Amino acid sequence: MAEMVKLFVNGQEVEVESGKNLIDAFEVIGIEIPHFCYHPALGSDGNCRMCLVGIEDGRPPLVPACKTPVSEGLKVQLDTEKIKKIQHDVMELELINHPIDCPVCDQAGECKLQDYYMSYDHQASRMRVPQVVKEKKMDLGCGVIHDQERCVLCARCVRFTRLITKTGELGIINRSDDARVALFPGRSLDNRYALNIVDLCPVGAMTSKDFRFKQRAWFLKRDKGICHGCSMGCNIFIDHNREKYKDDLIYRFRPRLNPEVNGYFICDEGRLGYHRENEGRLISARIGTEESSADQALQTARRRMEGADKLLILLSPNCSLEQMLAIQALAATTGATVSGFSDGSIKNGDADGYLIQDDKSANRAGLALLGVNTSPEFFESALQRTDTLVSFNNDLFITGPNQAWAKKLGEIQIIAISTHDTLFSRQAGIAIPTASYTEYAGSVINKDGILQTFGQAVCKNSAPLDMIRIAGLLGGTLTDPEALMQAMKRKIPAFAAIETDQIPEKGLKLSHNEAAHVTA
Amino acid sequence: MSAKVKIIERKGVSYNEKLFLVEVFKGMRVTLGHFMRNFLDNSKLYVRHYPEVQPEISPRWRGRHRLTTHEDGTVKCVACFMCATNCPSHCIMIEAGERLDGKSEKMPIRFDIDLLECIYCGYCVEACPMDAIRMDTGIYSSTSSDRQSMLKGIDELLTTPGAFTEEDYKKGGV
Repeated sequence: MAEMVKLFVNGQEVEVESGKNLIDAFEVIGIEIPHFCYHPALGSDGNCRMCLVGIEDGRPPLVPACKTPVSEGLKVQLDTEKIKKIQHDVMELELINHPIDCPVCDQAGECKLQDYYMSYDHQASRMRVPQVVKEKKMDLGCGVIHDQERCVLCARCVRFTRLITKTGELGIINRSDDARVALFPGRSLDNRYALNIVDLCPVGAMTSKDFRFKQRAWFLKRDKGICHGCSMGCNIFIDHNREKYKDDLIYRFRPRLNPEVNGYFICDEGRLGYHRENEGRLISARIGTEESSADQALQTARRRMEGADKLLILLSPNCSLEQMLAIQALAATTGATVSGFSDGSIKNGDADGYLIQDDKSANRAGLALLGVNTSPEFFESALQRTDTLVSFNNDLFITGPNQAWAKKLGEIQIIAISTHDTLFSRQAGIAIPTASYTEYAGSVINKDGILQTFGQAVCKNSAPLDMIRIAGLLGGTLTDPEALMQAMKRKIPAFAAIETDQIPEKGLKLSHNEAAHVTA
Repeated sequence: MSAKVKIIERKGVSYNEKLFLVEVFKGMRVTLGHFMRNFLDNSKLYVRHYPEVQPEISPRWRGRHRLTTHEDGTVKCVACFMCATNCPSHCIMIEAGERLDGKSEKMPIRFDIDLLECIYCGYCVEACPMDAIRMDTGIYSSTSSDRQSMLKGIDELLTTPGAFTEEDYKKGGV
C-alpha cells in the first residue's frame, strides 16, 4: 500500500496516494482534471496547458497538474474563476481551426474535445476569418488514418512512436497555426503496435482504417475480455453490437489497462484478431459432407466414441481451464488418452520482447498445469494406436496439411469440435460447431503464470454450444459450473484460498510452485 | 377557495321526452332534411369528396420522408447516424461508406426506412445536422399489400420530391 498524503482541493481535505501527479492521484478519488497531452504511459509533456491548476499561496500560483507531484498540505484550486477562464481559453484556442466535422468523425462520442467542450467551454466560436486548411484523410500506414485539421497537437502519437515502439516515424512540423503531425519524409508508420495511436489520440485526428465508418461509438457495447491471440493474455475491451435483423458482431478490440500483463497497449495483430471471431466460423454441424443438426451430430459422435478403440482426445491450448477440466473428465469416463499437442500454434522467432509472444495460444500454461502431455512423440504414438480422434478445437493443420500423418488420419474416424470451418474440420467425419472465446466465460493462464478470468461478451443469434456442454453431451460427468470450480480449486492451490468473485481484476499470480510447470 | 358551481337543468324530464317516440321522429326530420338537401345539390356536402378532392397539407405536416440533395444533385446525408440514434422506433437502418465526391468524407451506402415501423414523430428531421432528411413530401398515405415494398431504400428516398417550395418549408406553414 502506497503512502498517503493529505492535501486540499477547493478547500476540501482529501487523502491521495503519494508519488503520483495531480491528474492521476485525483482520478482515483473521482476528481477530473481535463488534459489532452498527458498519458500515464507516455509521461507528462505539458504542451496542451489544459491541466493548469491554481496553487493557493504557491510560487508559481499556476502549475500544470500533469507535472506537479502531490505533496502534503498542497492547496489545489480547480474551480476558481481564473482556472475556469484558462480552461475556456485553451478550449477556444484548440477549436479555432477545428473543422467540427463530428458527424463524419469516428471519434465522436468518445472525443475529449466534445467532452471538454460540454464541461468546460460551452461558448460559441468567435472565429470570423477562414480556417487554416490542412490535409485530411492521410494514410500514415499500418491502417492509421490521420486528419491534420482535427489534431490538437498533444504529441501523444509522436511520443508513442519514440518512447514505446522506438521507431520514431512521426514528428510535428511547422509552427503556430500551421503546426501539424507528419511522417518523416520517405517513411510511413511501420511497427506492430501502430494502431494504439488511434486509442491514444484524444480527438479524431487518428482513426483506424479498419474501423472507419463501421459503427458509431455509442452503439457499441463494451465488454471485458482476454485476447486469445498469443500467450500474453492481453486485457481487452470487446466492442460489439447487434444491429437490427443482424447477428451480434464484434467491431473492434481495444486495450484494457492491466499493469501486470499488457499495460495500456495491445499489438495490432491481436487488435485485428476480432475478424476471426466474426468470419470463417463453423456454422452448422456436419456428418460426412451432409449438414445435420448439432444434436444428431453429437449423438452420432457419442456412438462412435463408445465403439472406439483407444480413443484419443486432442485438446486445444486455447481452451479455458474449465473446458480442459470438463474434457479431462470426459476422457476419464471414456478411457481416452488426452494430448495437448499443438506445436503448430508456436511461431518461433515471432516474439519481440514486448507484448508479442511466440506461442499463439492463450492457455498452454493451463495445459501444463493440468498435466496434459503436449509432446509430439506422445501424440504420434497415441495417434498410431487409435482408431478415433476427437479434437476439441485443436487444428492439426494450422500450418498446412501434415504429410507425415496424412495416411493415418485418412484411416481413422475424426470428430472435430471446432469454432472455425478449417481444412481440418472439413476432413473430419463429424464436425460440430462450438463457441469461441468471446462467446463463453472462463479462465486462462498466461505465459507468466497469471490466471485471468473473463466473461461472455458476444451472444450469437444461433449460439453454438460451449465445449463444456459438448463434453457433457458426449458423456462427460463434470459440467456443472460449481463442480468445475471445485475441481479447479483442487488443482490450483492459489485458487482454493479465495472466493470466485474475489479474483482480482489484474489476474491472479500463481505461486512459483505452480508456475514451475509452465514451460511453454 | 371554493369552485364556482353552476347548476344545469336536467333535460329529458318532460312527458313528451319520456315517451321517446316524438323525439325519434324529431331526429328523423333532421336526417331527412340533410338527405334532401344533399340529394338535390351535392356541392353543398359537409364532407370532402375524397379521393377526388385531396386535402390541403401544411408544410408542417409530417408526411413520408425524403432525403434532400445539394444543388448539384449529391446527397446531403453524411451518414452520421443521428436520425437512427434519435429514432424511438428504430426504423432507420443505415450503412456508411467512403464518399468520393469531395463534399465530405462519409455518405450512406444503404439508407432504409421501414414505414411499417415508423411512427412519424419527426425526431429524425429534428436530429439531422445537415437538413438531409425531411418529411415534407406531403404523402400522408402509404399503403401496400406486402411488407417489402414498405421498406424505402435510399434511391426512392432521394427521388421522392418535396411538395413545398424552400421558402414555404422554412416558414413552416405560418
